[in-house]
Amino acid sequence: MAGLSLKSLHKTYGKVEVIKGVDLEIEDGEFVVFVGPSGCGKSTLLRMIAGLEDITGGELYIGDKLCNDVEPRDRSIAMVFQSYALYPHMTVYDNVGFGLKLAKTPKDVRDQKIREAARILKMEHLLDRKPGQLSGGQRQRVAIGRAIVRQPEVFLFDEPLSNLDAALRVDTRMEIAKLHADLGATMIYVTHDQVEAMTLADKIVVLDAGVVQQVGSPIELYQRPQNLFVAGFIGSPKMNFVEVAVEAVDGDTVTVASKDVASLRIPANSTSLNIGDKLTLGIRPHDLLPASNGAIVGRVSLVERLGNETIVNLELSSGAAWLAVLEGDQPLRIGESLILSAEPQKAILFDRNGLALLRAA
Amino acid sequence: MTENASSVPDARHQIPLPAARRGRRKSLTAWLFITPAFLFYAAFVLVPLIMSLYYSFLRWDGIGEARFHGLTNYITVLTDSDLLQIIGNAFQLVLYFTIIPVGLGLAVASAIRGQMNGRFGMATRTILFLPQVIPLVAAGIAWSWMFASTGLVNQALKSVGLSSWVKGWLGDFVWALPAVGVIGAWVLLGLCTMLLVTGITKIDTSLYEAARLDGARPWHEFRYITLPGLRQEIGVCITVTVIAALASFDIVYISTQGGPGITTTVPGLEIYRLAFAHRQVGLASALAIVLMVLVLLSIAPVQWFTRDKK
Ligand SMILES: Nc1ncnc2c1ncn2[C@@H]1O[C@H](COP(=O)(O)OP(=O)(O)O)[C@@H](O)[C@H]1O
Ligand SMILES: [Mg+2]
Repeated sequence: MAGLSLKSLHKTYGKVEVIKGVDLEIEDGEFVVFVGPSGCGKSTLLRMIAGLEDITGGELYIGDKLCNDVEPRDRSIAMVFQSYALYPHMTVYDNVGFGLKLAKTPKDVRDQKIREAARILKMEHLLDRKPGQLSGGQRQRVAIGRAIVRQPEVFLFDEPLSNLDAALRVDTRMEIAKLHADLGATMIYVTHDQVEAMTLADKIVVLDAGVVQQVGSPIELYQRPQNLFVAGFIGSPKMNFVEVAVEAVDGDTVTVASKDVASLRIPANSTSLNIGDKLTLGIRPHDLLPASNGAIVGRVSLVERLGNETIVNLELSSGAAWLAVLEGDQPLRIGESLILSAEPQKAILFDRNGLALLRAA
Repeated sequence: MTENASSVPDARHQIPLPAARRGRRKSLTAWLFITPAFLFYAAFVLVPLIMSLYYSFLRWDGIGEARFHGLTNYITVLTDSDLLQIIGNAFQLVLYFTIIPVGLGLAVASAIRGQMNGRFGMATRTILFLPQVIPLVAAGIAWSWMFASTGLVNQALKSVGLSSWVKGWLGDFVWALPAVGVIGAWVLLGLCTMLLVTGITKIDTSLYEAARLDGARPWHEFRYITLPGLRQEIGVCITVTVIAALASFDIVYISTQGGPGITTTVPGLEIYRLAFAHRQVGLASALAIVLMVLVLLSIAPVQWFTRDKK
């Protein structure tokens, strides 16, 4: 088993820099998820780890071994591709056993390993079929099976669920989590879906534009995002933001207000703040409550009733569009005005550069 | 337009026909659509074929009176040593016309996979396809010059110190047929490369990546991904080139006229000679029918091996 160590990794295509210096430690047996919007460089980073893309600069260690110039086959990794990349003319049995065959594994050992993988993934009945005769979910299994038989130290997944329908996606997600628990191998998983990231990861790496924005556990990222990007990316529905100005600074609480928000006292790192400074206030839709003495007033523009909760789209007087997720079924009408209170403990302030003014934990 | 198109299915719904009548009308429509193409096919393929078959049982000089000749023409084709050698020549040409273009085409396609969209891939494709746009007659003439005693091939041999190899290639009893084979290979290389390069772009590149992770070397990638992925394209190439070899005429006619002796004579050329120079229309027709059967027999296994297995 092996951990990974990425030291100042860079990747450029011609003049375009796609990965701009990534430093990252991945522990042995950890489930790490790279998450970020489309085009931010997640796949590129994963493919650099796999050895499918050359590393332009920096160092990649798998275990203790510097792997920059090591062939993919010698990195003890296995990868599950977004398109599954099953060999179309081979049966499932041969697909799963292809790597073993190339490694000249004796036939009986190979057979036993293939059947073991098939048993783990409950696909024994599919072994004689060709990929063309399988459903999306079944192909996914075969692709994972092909990774398992090689007993790699590190599993790499590139958006493995994006070609599945919603229900299957949830099932497969749970199976991957279970597989990780059973095998105990290091897994690196790429997705643009923050829900997948939150549910699967021991550690999430948020990427944007080739730069690591934050590394942490799902709860850390949710509760203590370090900047506006992470705050907006993690959590569903998205965090609400509005411009505010500093009214008063008092030890480690800051009082802010704006056209939309009556004075709100928020715990924050206030060391560099002056009265009148412009900040961004972030409040999650789940942290808003209807309250007649609340600080935030908005006009209801859309109501989505899910039964157990009600998602309210609001327009604040400055024009900012906010969401509030309220308990139960709320009797609200479009156009009426709604007063909400926010728990100050859960509100986050961001400075001009988008950095969160978090109090030391 | 749109109104008309959408009103057709509506009309059908309004007047439901009994199933049997609807079926008959459908098949009638189908036949009507097929008829024009079928008439052309019959006029230009079936009728000449049947005529040839008929002539092949006759002894006829093409003008005078024809006499029924039974299977004599066929027995001649299958026993006359010259005619057998001529048929053998055609099969020797298959070696050059098919193996060289398909082999080189595969090599080129594998080599430029990956750079396909770059300037390099574009240039390679254009250069290799160039022979395809040159008329066969021009290619034959150009190569005749190159293979001549003072031609480019001999000059090249001299310049690298192989003066003893210099010869009039197309007049040489041993080398004339291989020389003709090289001309055909050159002409067909472009078509094969074009087909194979286009085919290889359709293979999902992540298959190659998955194979690399599975430990595949370049040879394995070729053997387990490229070859099976190009099965149909290879089938088309083999089919086209085998037919080009067995039914060749123009290249041979231009470059050697079948000589020296009959070392480069192919059935196509012989059919032409028998019919128009020797006035043996019956024998020419029999040779044509035999040639057709040989082509079909050679192509059938290729089609069978490269069919789309599910
Ligand atoms: N072969 C390539 N040549 C040039 N640019 C590329 C290449 N591959 C990816 N890129 C660019 O790198 C960026 C990151 O791509 P990718 O890692 O695939 O993003 P993600 O997987 O996060 O959606 C994108 O802007 C993409 O356009
Ligand atoms: Mg990607």
